[in-house]
Amino acid sequence: MNEQRRQILQMLTEGKITADEAERLIDALDTDQPEPRALDAPRSGSRPKYLRVVVEAGQGTEADGDGPTRINVRVPLQLLRAGVRLASLLPPQAITKANAELSKAGVPIDLAQLKPADVEELVDQLDELTIDVDDPDSKVQVFCE
Amino acid sequence: MPQLVTLRWRRPGGRRHTVHIPVLPVLVVLSPLLLLAVLAGLVACRIFGISPGGALRGAGRLLWALPGTQVEFHDGSTAMTVAVN
Repeated sequence: MNEQRRQILQMLTEGKITADEAERLIDALDTDQPEPRALDAPRSGSRPKYLRVVVEAGQGTEADGDGPTRINVRVPLQLLRAGVRLASLLPPQAITKANAELSKAGVPIDLAQLKPADVEELVDQLDELTIDVDDPDSKVQVFCE
Repeated sequence: MPQLVTLRWRRPGGRRHTVHIPVLPVLVVLSPLLLLAVLAGLVACRIFGISPGGALRGAGRLLWALPGTQVEFHDGSTAMTVAVN
């Protein structure tokens, strides 16, 4: 039992807080504390360095010069981070214009609210991203490696 | 920083071509033009109200993060690959 939990129980026995309040505080402690196993598991191997996008489409044959189309793009995650930092240099008037165009296109996102730290966290979470789109004529895969 | 950019391409029914571009020697050869480009960039930063230091740092980070980038495109017997190492 850790110190904070003990203090909550102490306050409960002293009558400073009710049982409901004690339960809420203990729940809050549980959610605040990271679960080491759950977090460590995906990081046990080497961290992914690249975002890979693979697109395969078409069923032609190489002989008739109309073979399948394949696009394979590998982007270092570090490059995404650098790009995100560069985007944070945009002047306010450019952001206002971009917001207006986004709204016009039906995407009401305020880019000024997008903080570099938030976007960087998003890039960090890409580590576990896997997208597979299977179609009879094409296949798209997005994953980190 | 990128050391070598490799370009490979193949045309329909044609031979495969490979070109290796060493980045540093090319930068040295193009350094007078690069200096002009940096100056033009600094003027543009001043016009558009962007911090020149931040822009230089950002561009540097982008350049340093490039190694490992690879783009491949195959369409039938046509193919093209760009790899930065």
